[in-house]
Amino acid sequence: MLLANKEGIVVTGPVVPLVPGGAATSLLVFAIPVLVGQLVGVKSVKIRKVILHNNAAGNTTVLIGNGAVGVGIPVLLPALDSLNGLTDSYYADADFPEVESFANIVAWTPAVAGTIDIQLEVAVIG
Amino acid sequence: MPDLYIFKAQVGMFDPVALQNHNVRIHYVQATYYRKVDFLEGIPPFQCVNLGALAAVTPSGRVNIVNLEMADNEFGLWRWYPIDDAQIRLYHPAGIAKYQLRNLQVPVDMNILFRDPNLVSTEIAVWQNNRPAAEAINGHAFALGAVRLIAIGYRFHTVDLESGKDADPELVNAIKVGKAPCTDVWCSGRGIGD
Repeated sequence: MLLANKEGIVVTGPVVPLVPGGAATSLLVFAIPVLVGQLVGVKSVKIRKVILHNNAAGNTTVLIGNGAVGVGIPVLLPALDSLNGLTDSYYADADFPEVESFANIVAWTPAVAGTIDIQLEVAVIG
Repeated sequence: MPDLYIFKAQVGMFDPVALQNHNVRIHYVQATYYRKVDFLEGIPPFQCVNLGALAAVTPSGRVNIVNLEMADNEFGLWRWYPIDDAQIRLYHPAGIAKYQLRNLQVPVDMNILFRDPNLVSTEIAVWQNNRPAAEAINGHAFALGAVRLIAIGYRFHTVDLESGKDADPELVNAIKVGKAPCTDVWCSGRGIGD
């Protein structure tokens, strides 16, 4: 049988422009798949990659959590740097630990201007 | 005669214990049933149970795995592994510890995929609705969001050789004295000293 030791189907979330305002303006960046009529299967996701593109938002950070939209916390990862006008990529195993979430993932930024586009790549488990 | 038997290990495959028209002797606790397989099919890997979220350093209650139940006259052959980092104690049926040694009930955790890639040591059979049950132990200092088990196996439909329209007393006697081929299938654990 020699089953794979790593489970998970790798998929990407949408590109979401984060707006200034902190956790109160957190937005959904990846929704746990819950198929209507799904027979069995509780799904979770492990974040594999995070890509950020800073649209003149200044040097700031992005936080990722799995609280409700507009609440944000609890955080899943330490703040990720986002540099003004640049694209930053972060990878599991290299830049952050392989965190798992059973709830939808949201993100937010404390920036005061501009937006930050964010996209996640996750492995869906279950 | 195909080379089929329980707990068979080989690279890349998980064989059924019997094929069409093969005789099987089902053992469930202390009962024995003589049957003949008249249909079988593979069951792809699926998430058979979620034992639930589990707080840090906590064991769960015992949860019946109803998704591994089989219909009347059927038995299932299953191998399984967890995909969340808990130790799993299996009971089969719910009142009898499985993988029981004198001083320890051996648990299964995610390491099973490294240590026993064929999952041969996890193999169990389920007779009709006599399903197994499981408990999870979270030894971590953090909570687990779920404890999920994946099962893979075969479904066998059988006919009764001891009574009814398919009864064949001569064949049953031949099996009992070892003159007809038959595969033994243990569909439960056994209590210590039982």
